[in-house]
Amino acid sequence: MQQLKTDFTSREDMAAYIQQEFPFLESPGGLSPYLGGRKAGLARLEEFKIEQYGKERNFLNGEVSRLSPYISRGCLELEEVRQWALQHPLSKSVESFVSELAWRGFFHLVYQEEGTGILADLEPPKVSLGKHQITLPEDIARGETGLPSMDTLIGMLRETGYLHNHARMYLASYVVHFRKVSWRSGADWMYALLIDGDFASNHLSWQWVASTFSNKPYIFNRENLERYGGAVLPGDPRQGDPFDASYEALAERLFGGEYRPEPRRSSGNYQ
Amino acid sequence: MTESLIWVNEDGINPEHKMFRDYPDAPRVYIFDVSYLQQWRISHHRLQFIYESLLEIPHISIYKGETVAVLDSLLQEYNVREVITTATPNHIITGWQDEILKQADLVTYPQIYPVQDSSSPRRFARYWRQSDRFWLTP
Repeated sequence: MQQLKTDFTSREDMAAYIQQEFPFLESPGGLSPYLGGRKAGLARLEEFKIEQYGKERNFLNGEVSRLSPYISRGCLELEEVRQWALQHPLSKSVESFVSELAWRGFFHLVYQEEGTGILADLEPPKVSLGKHQITLPEDIARGETGLPSMDTLIGMLRETGYLHNHARMYLASYVVHFRKVSWRSGADWMYALLIDGDFASNHLSWQWVASTFSNKPYIFNRENLERYGGAVLPGDPRQGDPFDASYEALAERLFGGEYRPEPRRSSGNYQ
Repeated sequence: MTESLIWVNEDGINPEHKMFRDYPDAPRVYIFDVSYLQQWRISHHRLQFIYESLLEIPHISIYKGETVAVLDSLLQEYNVREVITTATPNHIITGWQDEILKQADLVTYPQIYPVQDSSSPRRFARYWRQSDRFWLTP
């Protein structure tokens, strides 16, 4: 048993100490922009423009709370954030934000009920996942897939320890459905890197994407990626673009007819 | 005389939590569990975020080691038989809590949700239909 220091002159000083005491940790170098602590969480809550959330939340550059690190680590309690939200006049936007908090409560309920069961398929998949590889390919772990959009998201995840929710879904879908990697491998990888890593929200979201905790697989196409991520992500080469197809064509290519999307499917919202 | 020990876990790092007011004299501790960090390959950013959050808790003592073994030693060092902590569904933390229960009494502060029903309806849309009025009521 070793007692650790509690006096530091700066975040950089702390980072160096952590590296010395825990040399096995994955470190991209540099500091995350997310400063830990309740004070920083309350400051973020003050800045959050909840009125804009409903319309912008699916856009990677839209107004989202970025509170999940603070809620997941308990610096802010879910209930106090909910009460804060409900101090605003009830609107679609406020309702939308509260329903996202409810997702967290819902995931925790399932985790409480299932325990470690959430680390394996909760339901039979709705498309074949049995032959997916069980180790995460190195090019994904390193952010060197050759697809600038996905590499940018992986870079953000590694460098900041945070990703917008829609970005998490894009990455999860890319890993599971486009690259045919088991959702569990992807979920463990993301859990490790996220500041807000939480088995319930993380692993159940991956299962939702994979279709082992939902009625269908989650996939996205070029049009969706451009619409919601275009302001943040670099374009991908047009030649061989794996996302550049209609949902019907993508489903045929990825699932061979096991799943047929409804026509005009658009947003990446959870349903 | 100190009778209790507050054990903070990574899902409940709130310096304003009620347990600190209820047990103002209890020593406060946090343990970075090396096996957990290594097994799950936890990133530097997460650990630093936790560390920064912990430093807002006055008089916190932070340790590195195996959680249960460190807590056992601290129980003896402080001569206490009661551990105060916060609830989490995290199976790793609840596993440690179960181990601690063999050595000491455990007081666990629950997480607060607007809905008390603890059965999961398996689909969020169904859950939301059943409970939206609770979530949307202050």
